[in-house]
This record gives sequence, structure tokens and C-alpha cells, in this order.
Amino acid sequence: MSNTEAARRHAGESHGVGHVATYVVLTLLAIMYIFPFLVEVANSFKTDEEATLAGMSLWSTNWTTAAYTTLFANSDFALWTMNSVIVTVVVTTGRVFFVSLAGYSLARLRFPGRQAVYLALIAVMSVPAVVLLIPKFLVIKSLGIYDSYAGMILPLLVDAAGVFIMRNFFESIPLAVEEAARIDGAGTFRTFWSVVLPMSRPALMTIIILSFQGSWNELNHFIVSTQSPSLTTLTKGVASLASGQLSSGNQYPIKLAAAALMTIPVAIIFFIFQKRIMNTSGGAVKE
Amino acid sequence: MTTTQGLARATPAPAQGRGRRSLGNAQAGAGWLFVLPMVVVLGLFLFLPVVMAAWVSVSDWSGRGAPWGGNVNFVGSKNYVDVLGGQGLAARDFGTAIRNNLYYVILVVPLQTVLSLLLAFMVNKRALRGKSFYRTAFYFPSVTSSVAITVLWLFLFSASGAVNAFLGWFSIQGPNWFADPRGVIHIMLGGGDGPAALQEPALFGISGWEWLAGPSVAMCAFILMAIFTTSGTFMLLFLAALQAIGEETEEAAMVDGASAWQRFWYVTLPMLRPTVFTVITLGLIGTWQVFDQIYTGTQGGPSKTTLTPAYLSYDAAFLSGDWGRGAAIAFVLFGIIVLFTILQRLILGGGDNTGTDRRAQRAEKRARTRAAAQTGGVA
Amino acid sequence: MSHPQRAVIAALATAAALTLSACGGGFTSASNTPAASQSANTNPISVLIGSSGDAETTSVKAAVAAWSTKSGIQAEVKVASDLTQQATQGFAGGKPDDVLYVSTDQLAGWAKNGSLEAYGDQLSNKSDFYPGLVKAFTYDDKFYCAPKDFSTLALVINKSMWADAGLTEADVPTTWDQLSAVAKKLTKGKRVGLAFGPEIQRVGVFMAQAGGGLLSADGKAQADAQANVDALTYVKGMLNDGSAAFSSDLGAGWGGEAFGKKMAAMVIEGNWITGAMTSTYPNVEYTVAELPAGVQKGTLQYTNCWGISADGDNKAAAISLVEFLTTTDQQLTFAKDFGVMPSVQSASAQYKTDNPTMVPFINGAEYAQNLPSMAGAADVIKEFNSQLAGLKSKDPKAILDDTQKNLQAIVG
Repeated sequence: MSNTEAARRHAGESHGVGHVATYVVLTLLAIMYIFPFLVEVANSFKTDEEATLAGMSLWSTNWTTAAYTTLFANSDFALWTMNSVIVTVVVTTGRVFFVSLAGYSLARLRFPGRQAVYLALIAVMSVPAVVLLIPKFLVIKSLGIYDSYAGMILPLLVDAAGVFIMRNFFESIPLAVEEAARIDGAGTFRTFWSVVLPMSRPALMTIIILSFQGSWNELNHFIVSTQSPSLTTLTKGVASLASGQLSSGNQYPIKLAAAALMTIPVAIIFFIFQKRIMNTSGGAVKE
Repeated sequence: MTTTQGLARATPAPAQGRGRRSLGNAQAGAGWLFVLPMVVVLGLFLFLPVVMAAWVSVSDWSGRGAPWGGNVNFVGSKNYVDVLGGQGLAARDFGTAIRNNLYYVILVVPLQTVLSLLLAFMVNKRALRGKSFYRTAFYFPSVTSSVAITVLWLFLFSASGAVNAFLGWFSIQGPNWFADPRGVIHIMLGGGDGPAALQEPALFGISGWEWLAGPSVAMCAFILMAIFTTSGTFMLLFLAALQAIGEETEEAAMVDGASAWQRFWYVTLPMLRPTVFTVITLGLIGTWQVFDQIYTGTQGGPSKTTLTPAYLSYDAAFLSGDWGRGAAIAFVLFGIIVLFTILQRLILGGGDNTGTDRRAQRAEKRARTRAAAQTGGVA
Repeated sequence: MSHPQRAVIAALATAAALTLSACGGGFTSASNTPAASQSANTNPISVLIGSSGDAETTSVKAAVAAWSTKSGIQAEVKVASDLTQQATQGFAGGKPDDVLYVSTDQLAGWAKNGSLEAYGDQLSNKSDFYPGLVKAFTYDDKFYCAPKDFSTLALVINKSMWADAGLTEADVPTTWDQLSAVAKKLTKGKRVGLAFGPEIQRVGVFMAQAGGGLLSADGKAQADAQANVDALTYVKGMLNDGSAAFSSDLGAGWGGEAFGKKMAAMVIEGNWITGAMTSTYPNVEYTVAELPAGVQKGTLQYTNCWGISADGDNKAAAISLVEFLTTTDQQLTFAKDFGVMPSVQSASAQYKTDNPTMVPFINGAEYAQNLPSMAGAADVIKEFNSQLAGLKSKDPKAILDDTQKNLQAIVG
């Protein structure tokens, strides 16, 4: 005990210099991580010429919102945003429900073929998403849901990793409560819905964060599942901006404005759930 | 923290004792009903696609009508041979894509692993003030979309962009990053055409000299971007593991009079082995799938030096209408990813857990799955 | 999607924005379109375009709407963000749009797999199109689709830099030697005399002028011809002495940007540059000249056609729409609205009167070459371009030999 104490004190003294060094290194690194985003926002309020010539400067002599005006007046930015919102909301809601249902089933219910389903789940999780680009298009088109919200949303409704997270979570919560509910005569779904789910807030949060972020930032699935401009999402739309549409030459402020705007929702989610995301220490059922 | 060890261990131990039969039946029904949506969606959009693509990869489907229509023929391994063998353009494009991506993997995986470990180590210090600020700063790039980050990167690394302005402070004339196809190894060797022995077409029709080019300057910008966007996620993973290890172990070592470096090297790092293993696995899987950045940023240019197998597969199918070749490339890529994961397992050994308590293991596993979901890999 | 196409689209975008205000009453004169269908098929038509911007979109929408009113068939214009990808997915998905822009690059692939209808011979105004353009849209001896409009390349010169260098109108280069000489004179500090994109879509003009080109007149691969070696050697010389540069090396997205941002005194660009100049760089005064000749006069031309999907369910109406869109009057309206050049000869005289600065571009139609467009050509060109970017340090002959090999693999 006193040994540890001594060691601690010792560490405190001899690491004075090291401590300062840590702060210096960390602060420099933090600047490197944050600066690009400041550059993004600052330059979205500049003229193209100024952004091109003095991209590093966070200050401008003539601020302008021209880029944002162009974005809303001369592009489908508003439409893209709407599509992203629709898809994200539906996907997130659906995922929370389906993923927890499946996770619960795999963790708690005994049914024939359960092990097979579980193994299949692990197997499909190992298929890299990019490999599925062409095949997903083929299936979506064969099912007749190509170029529709259904084609955009359905394939994203369940995510294998999410099922996995929920299964692990359900395995970690006490059985006793469910037993009690069952003895009271509640059916399996009742037990799941009114007893288990309310206890699962932390895990559900994780799923919400992941689904929101995942579907908001999704690009390649929307590339292969749609063709109509009316179904373009933010990621697809902004990517098309970046590769030259709408602009002759570089037109950086417009692109940066678009990038900054599309980052806002995930940033909000991030800051709301920051504690939850950053909580790496607690057990599964913390709260 | 309400979990207790015993309960947490509970594997499915459903209805016991009386009424087991009827309950069991009801459960079987409910069990299937509950997993049904998952089975349908994953079956339709993960399993079935793979089967269909397998067929397309051995067919001559030209992208009109259904792939199993009457006018679509079985062509055997033709598409695979086109991609993997011979000196044709298809093989060379694939070879170029593999070369580019290989350099990307070789640089990104170790760098992001080391950097994220370093970050985790620093922000884990007990006495550090402003922990959450630093963690937030490092993690934030991980939550933004690859499209937005690519747009930003194109700007930062433009000819007169912020990066070159920064280099200018040190009187370094920065390159025109995204337009510069020169391989960095070639640049270091002073350019030129290289020895005659390396001029002959080698693997995939790419000459030895071209294989040795190194990542192009343009690819380097993408490499930096990958490190920038993934180090935060992996930092959290390491952080979880470090906290699981706890301070006791460290302090014990401290008492033994070990230097900070010794403590890190002989005590902490070995205990972090499973996490290092996970980070490398996720890194490998993620880095072989570079697509969004290329689609948004360079479409494979300049001089095909940012072409990746994933983008090439897309390009072949969706832009050139060469669906069989595109599907074949996708399967070869899948094979490569599997191969690399196995190789890594052989070299580094499995990710066995040692020493940490079970709750910590669980926390770490949770973080791992979360990271996997985020980086698009497996857990 | 091919690079030049994107560059063109990008460039046109700005052209469009400017002329938007001027595009008011465009279609009143388009009247005499024969109805191609007697049947009562009234299935609606969808038109997929790769728009350069608002002006083009507005103009095409208005034209299609006018046809719709006249024919009584509903028609909708969709603007693609990546035309090639969307069209490919449409064909593969069995839900293609009825009418769509088709570039020469794409023609062979889509014609070969049967996605496109070969309707060219059914057009009543078939003989009015420039023969070179008809050839560009002929595959397997069938004239597939009506050329929409076209563009050629010319030399665009910054007036004030020209004057500052002590040059006069008499100095406008007509030979390679003169071009080198003026480019040197115009090179000053970081500014180069001449700039062009790092792609055969620009550099190819020198190959044409040297009497070469990737294909011979009878369609054989001839990338390794001496004329092509001469052309690339000439270009390499200018790149290395600093009087010329690729626009990308200057940090510009395309030639027009390099020119507008005063990084180069001259650029080799197409007629779409004029739109970008007026809208984005109105302060840069410029003049346009025909490209200098090597062994002969040479330039390249680009064109899109109005493709019709073979799987469409109202092809008769689609053809009638295309006839409407390619009438002389309608094409002159498009020209006015978004700066393209009409694909029919009957519009030439009027066009020259309306657009005096464009004369060098339209004159190029007489001697312009098409880039190869057979199936697989796009990949060969992509590969050529990828090597061309390193021309400064590469052996022109090696690049061309390699291209010859790739080209032979597809033309036999």
C-alpha cells in the first residue's frame, strides 16, 4: 500500500517535464485534428478566389454567404438533405427494432436452428461491404425495388454487427426479471417489449448512434440502388459536386459549404451522445 | 455498474422445470419470428447477392435485361483469367489497383495502429486535465462522412491549399498533391526509368519498376486522410483495453523500478496484444476496401495511381458495362482480404485474452464490435 | 465517365448560368416536325440529360415541354449527376429512360449489348447532319442516333498578355514553330505560354496536325506511327522548356480554369470555354484562333447524340421528339441558350453570323478528327492518358508502342 503511494508520488515528481511534454504533444495533435474543420467552415464563407489563394487563413476581409446561396438556389441540396433525413430516420428506427428483436432471440430464446442462424450471421458479417456493390444492385433490380425508397431502405434495415451487439448485451443482463414477467403470464413479445427493452437503453443508444451515423454517411449503397435525381442523398449529391458538377473549375467554397452542412447532424448526435460514445470503461449495463 | 459476474455469464438457459414443453414450443415460434426479419434482410441483401454475383462473374452478361436470361452465356473462368493473367489492359489495371492498394495498406495499417495507441496512451494518463476535450478532438473525424472529409481533403491538399501553405513556412515547395502521379519511392530514387532488368512486365503485366514505384503523391494524401479519420475509432478501442488492464499492473511494475518505456514495452503492450490484433484485423479489412474516397475524389487518377480494386470493380461494371469482369474483381478482392486476415493470424498469433478480468473483456469486446460496425469490418 | 466529358459538362455549366436570362422565348419557331407515329401510343417519355447547368436544363426542358404540348404525349426531363452510371444502371435495371444523351465513348458498348435503338436512318433530316458526326454515331454500319450538337478545339489567347509580349494579330501562330516561339514569349514567371489538359482529348490535336492519330483512315491501329511520335516529342519539348504545361500541373481543374485564373496565356480548349469566360472570368479578354498546322490542319471534335433506348415503350414518340430537338431552329436556340454548336449544316451560316467569336471553332468541323470509339476504346484512351500525364519524363515512343498494343487488342 505505502509502496504504491510512494511510487505514485515519485511518478508525480519525476514526470513534471514529461507531463508538460505530453500536453504539448497532445495539444499540437489536437490542433492538427481540429484545424481542418475550422478551415472548412472559414473557407465556405469566402469567395472562390480568396479560398484558392489563401486557403489556410481562417480570416477573410470580405465574408460572403454566396456559397450557401448557390447551394440552396442552384442545386438540389435541400432535396438531398430531405432524402438523407428520410432514409436515416426510417433506417434507424427500423434497425433498433429488428436488431434488438433478433439479438434477443439469439441470446435468450431456444429454437431449432438457432445455432445455424448464429453461425450464418457470423459468416455474413465477414463479407466486405464493397464486394457487395455489384451483387446488391442485381438483387435490388430483380426484386423490382430498384430506384425507390424501398431499395434504399430495406437492405439497410438490419445490420449484422448491430444484432451482434444486442445479442451480447442481452446475454449480460439478469435473467431473473424476465422469469418474473413470464411467471406473471406475459408472452415472449410482451416480456421483450415491456420488460427487456426498457432495460436496454445503453445498448439501444449504441445502436441508434451507429445506425444514424452509418446511414447518414452511407454512400455506395445509394449509388447502386438509385438512379433518379429525386432520390439522391447528401452523400451522393455532394460527391457529385466534388467531381465537378455545378461548377467550372474548383469552386471550393460551395463544396466546403456542402461538406460542412452535411457534417452538422452527425456532429449534433456526436455531442449529444458524447458521454455514451466516449464511455469505454463501464460495463455493459452501466447506468 | 449493476452487473454482477455471475449473471453476466448467463448463457441462454431458458424456461426450466414445469411446463418446459409448451413453453419450449411457444419459444420456438417466437424465436423464429424474432429473427425472421434479420434472416430475410440479410438473406436477400447479403447472401443472395453473393450467389448472383458468383454467376455473373462466370457469365458474359452485358448489362441488359436479366442476368439469367436466355442470351447470357456461361464463359467459365474467362473473366478471372482476363483479370489475373495475361498482359491485357484488364490485367494491368487490376495489377495497378493491387499495387496502389497494397502500398496504402502497408502504410495505413501500421501508422494508424501506432498513432491510435499513442493517442490512447496519452489521453489515458491519470493526471491529465481536459481529457474529454482531447478525446473529442481525436474522435470527431471518425464520425464525419468520408464524402465530406474527401471534399475537405481535396481542398487542403490543392496546389495552393493549406498543406502547401504550411510547408511553405519551412520553404518547402509542396507538390500539387492530387494531380501528382509520381511514386514516392521513384522520387526518392531520383526518377528516371530504372534498371533495364525491371522494365519487363512482371506480375499482372506491371513491370518490376512500376511495382516499386511506391504510393503516388496523390495516394499519400489519401493515406494521411485514412489515418486522420480512423485513428480516433481505434484510440477508443485501445482506451477501453488500457482501462481494463487497470492501473494496478502498471503500478506494480512501477514499484519494481521499471522505466516508463520498460513498463510500456514489457508490461502494457503484451497485455494489449488482443486489442492490437483486433485493430490490425479491422485495419486490414477496411484498408482493402477503399472506395468512397476514390469515387468522390480522384476516380482513380492521376495516371491510375489511386485506382483501387474496389473502385475498379465498380468502374468495370457500372461505367464500362463489363459486369462479369467487375464481379470477378470483387471476388478476387474478397479472396485477398481473407488471405491477409489469415496471414496476419499466422504471423501475430490469435487474439487470446490474457490476464484481464471478465468484465473488462466484455467492455473491450463491446468496443471492438462497435469499432467493427463503424469501420465496416467484422468483429 | 470520361474526363473530357466531365470537363465539358463542368464548363458548360457556367456558360449556361450566364445565358439563362437570354433564353426566354426559344421555341416559337420550331414547328414542322413530322409525327413519326400514327399509332395511339401515348406512353410518356422520359429524357435523361447530363446537364452542364441551369441554362441547359431550362432550355432542354422548355424544348421538350413544347414538343409535349404539340404531340400530346407527356415528357419529363431528368438531369443525371453521373450520366454514364445512371444510364448503365437504367439499361441493366430494365428501366431505361426513353431518350438520353450518349457520348461517342459510350455508343459502342451500348450499341453492342443492344441497349440502344439504331434509328438514325428513320430521321427525316438525316442528310443535314455533318457527315463526320454521322460517322461518329455509326456502329456496325448502322447510324444509331442523331447528333445533338458538337464542339471542336481551338487556340484561345489572352489579349492583354499577347499585347504585353509585343505580339500583334499577325503573330497568331499558324505553324508549330510559330506556336513554340509565341509560347516562349508569353511565358513569364509562374505563368506559362500554353496550357492544355493532360489527355489525348487535348494533346491529340498535335497528333492530328502531324498527320497521325490513333487510327488510320481505314480504321487500323496506328498509334505507333512516326507522325504521333513527332507530335508527342514536340509537346514534350514544350513541357520541358517550361513554355507549356498541363493544366493539372498548374493546379487547375481544366484548361479554362488555368486560362481564366491567368496561369496560362494560351490554352487549347473547346467552344464551351466561352461560356465559362463570360460567367466566371468576365475580366479576362480573349480571342480565339484556329489551331496551328503541323503537316496539316488538325483538331478534334466532340459530340453527343440523342440515344433512344431499345427497351423504351414508345419509340415512335421518342424519334419524333428527337427530330423536333434537332431541327435547325431548335438547335440555334440551344446554341444561343448554352453555347453549343448546331450539328446540322443548315444552321451553320446563321450560327456564324450570330456568334462571330465562334467562327474558328466551327471552321474546325471541316478537318476535325474523332477519337476512336469502338468497344474498349475508352479503356485504351484512359490508359493512354494515364501515361501521358508523365510525358515530361517518359519516352513518347514507349507510350505510343504500348498504346498500339492495347489498341490492336480491340481493333484487331
